[in-house]
Amino acid sequence: MAGSGKGRGRAAFTFNIEAIGFAKGETLPEAVFKPTPLFPPTGFKPVPLKMGEDEDYMLALKQEFRGSMKKMPYFIANKDENQAIEKYSKKYLQMRKESMEWIPDWRRLPREMKPRKKTKKAVEKTKKAKVDTTKSNVDVLKKIEELEKKGDGEEKSDEEKEKEKDKEGEEEAANEQEEYDEEEHEEENDYIASYFEDGDDFGAGSDDNMDEATY
Amino acid sequence: MTQAEIKLCSLLLQEHFGEIVEKIGSHLIKTGNQPLRMIANDTEMSLDQVKKALCVLIQHNLVTYQLQKRGIVEYEALCSRVLRILRYPRYIYTAKTLYSDMGELIVEELLLNGKMTMSAVVQKVADRLTETMEDGKTMDYAEVSNTFVRLADTHFIQRCPQAPETSENSAAPPPPAPTLEANEKDMYMVPNLNLIGKGKRRRSFGDEDNGEHKPKRQKQDADSKEPPPDDGIYWQVNIDRFHQHFRDQAIVSAVANRMDQTSSEIVRTMLRMSEITTSSNAPYTQPLSSNEIFRSLPAGYNIVKQILDQYLTLLADDPLEFVGKSGDSGGGMYIVNLHKALASLATATLESIVQERFGSRCARIFRLLLRKKHLEQKQVEDFAMIPAKEAKDMLYKMLSENFVSLQEIPKTPDHAPSRTFYLYTVNTLSSARMLLHRCYKSVANLIERRQYETKESKRLLEKSQRVEAILASMQATGAEEVQLQEIEEMITAPERQQLESLKRNVNKIDASENQVDETIFVLESYIDSTVKKA
Repeated sequence: MAGSGKGRGRAAFTFNIEAIGFAKGETLPEAVFKPTPLFPPTGFKPVPLKMGEDEDYMLALKQEFRGSMKKMPYFIANKDENQAIEKYSKKYLQMRKESMEWIPDWRRLPREMKPRKKTKKAVEKTKKAKVDTTKSNVDVLKKIEELEKKGDGEEKSDEEKEKEKDKEGEEEAANEQEEYDEEEHEEENDYIASYFEDGDDFGAGSDDNMDEATY
Repeated sequence: MTQAEIKLCSLLLQEHFGEIVEKIGSHLIKTGNQPLRMIANDTEMSLDQVKKALCVLIQHNLVTYQLQKRGIVEYEALCSRVLRILRYPRYIYTAKTLYSDMGELIVEELLLNGKMTMSAVVQKVADRLTETMEDGKTMDYAEVSNTFVRLADTHFIQRCPQAPETSENSAAPPPPAPTLEANEKDMYMVPNLNLIGKGKRRRSFGDEDNGEHKPKRQKQDADSKEPPPDDGIYWQVNIDRFHQHFRDQAIVSAVANRMDQTSSEIVRTMLRMSEITTSSNAPYTQPLSSNEIFRSLPAGYNIVKQILDQYLTLLADDPLEFVGKSGDSGGGMYIVNLHKALASLATATLESIVQERFGSRCARIFRLLLRKKHLEQKQVEDFAMIPAKEAKDMLYKMLSENFVSLQEIPKTPDHAPSRTFYLYTVNTLSSARMLLHRCYKSVANLIERRQYETKESKRLLEKSQRVEAILASMQATGAEEVQLQEIEEMITAPERQQLESLKRNVNKIDASENQVDETIFVLESYIDSTVKKA
């Protein structure tokens, strides 16, 4: 049949190798067994960039555009990144940014896009950082807590309020956290109440405010 | 969507819209049409976040929705539209050259916001212009409206598809998604608005102590007023028209490089006359008679009719075939071959890339193959007058990089290799596609590198920003030279050097991105012109 080659066992190509330009018997270039390198050396240096007024102006436009986009309400930054290093100024910057909230034209969007009114109201209420939340049990717990705290000073209730401000928009997390904080503080109270059984001043002072039974 | 395109889209979305929008945008690009719940499920993000991100993307014309059967709305991301974000500076600059600062700001506001009503645009632009003017002067709304109308008349901005009017007494419940209709006739019609007013200057620092309450009050005032008269009529930038303009610019400058200034002016006139009559993807413009061209030449040019005829004949006979003669009536009917022009531009780009990458000898072989279409190994060596070994080496280099391909022509039906012709050839379309893919990869690499450089010096950048803020506030409250000097010295000399070199690098990378985008434009226009539109 075709192409038995010059001798048995010797490697031969199936076609006339002169067709692609190698002379007979000439050494062929080595076969490469690795993938191409990641940064292959280029034979020639790249041509320098175009310079000129137009290019400079477009460069400035590009950088300005990028900067403006970051300030627009359309830029939704990842919440986790923002809180890496808490800055004092962040509180004020965020309030200003929220005043620029963008509301899309709902007539042009599918109905499912609109956030349902129930969640919208809840979000607004937690933002106000006032004590009236939609959940009534949290109300009661808070009131109890505030009454208890009057003896300990007003610092703790301020802390609570600041913590509420920080947790805007995460209503459920906020409620959970508040309950957890209350538990912490309650435990402290229990500890104090149960450990020091004597001490007339102490017992007299707490008896007036506590609604819970002494252990 | 190729991997390179997807990567580039996600980088662009992240830079301009943030991580959350980027995740959802990339997911939609990768997976195609999806309804809301599936997106939330697959990306494992809360429904709220997905809704917000989709609203932003729809606002910027990057995602569209469609109502499918059974009331399900599916969202589709437009990958090619996301890639246009690279070209925004070019659009804004073009608007500036054509319509000066007002046009520039109008286009910039529209690009920043996606879509806006005319009254909102006019107000914002007037405010911005007033900021830059001297104290006491303000920008009148009327001037800005005029520029807006001119932009609409030349089709650079267009109306968005209209949402249907909802009547209060409709018996049926409203559909889950409004079907937006694009009315061809009204697309460039400017509503009749009586915009009276002047731009407002932002108040200085002293007044802004009560500023936090004032914006809220102002917002409530705006809400309580009636909706603006052009409520519901949104405008967006007409990207295709800008592309048409860039294409015309490229053709005119190509003719100017090849021949002379006068012929380029003639071609420019011809293209200007066919702006409105020819659709953007027509293979050639409408035939124009030599008399018409003569009448429409710009006023400054005083060439005699015979000279014009000679120029036209020269242009028509040129082997590049930018201009063709389609008839003899009216002194000769001439057309501009748009598709052929785009093909020549793409080919010239390819040639220049081969030259810069492999050397001028390879470029000679490449041009030879373009001219002769198919050549055997031996013929290449003979025609190019290059020694056999080198020619072989160069051909194989180009073959391995896919600039050149092999065509087999069998002599016998059994395709025996010893009895087959192997011809080298250049397929411009596939080479163009390959290069376009490479361009996308390069831009993605450039953006990554730029982000890396910025991240490395993030601390230093923040420090310098703080120092600048302190300096600015101190200057505003009036501080002595000595104090200002002290604060400037907070940044040491080597840090200053580092900042300088960072700035230089970032500028260089940004400029490179802009220029790669120019190549992307040429290649994309060529490839689009070869795709047959149904």
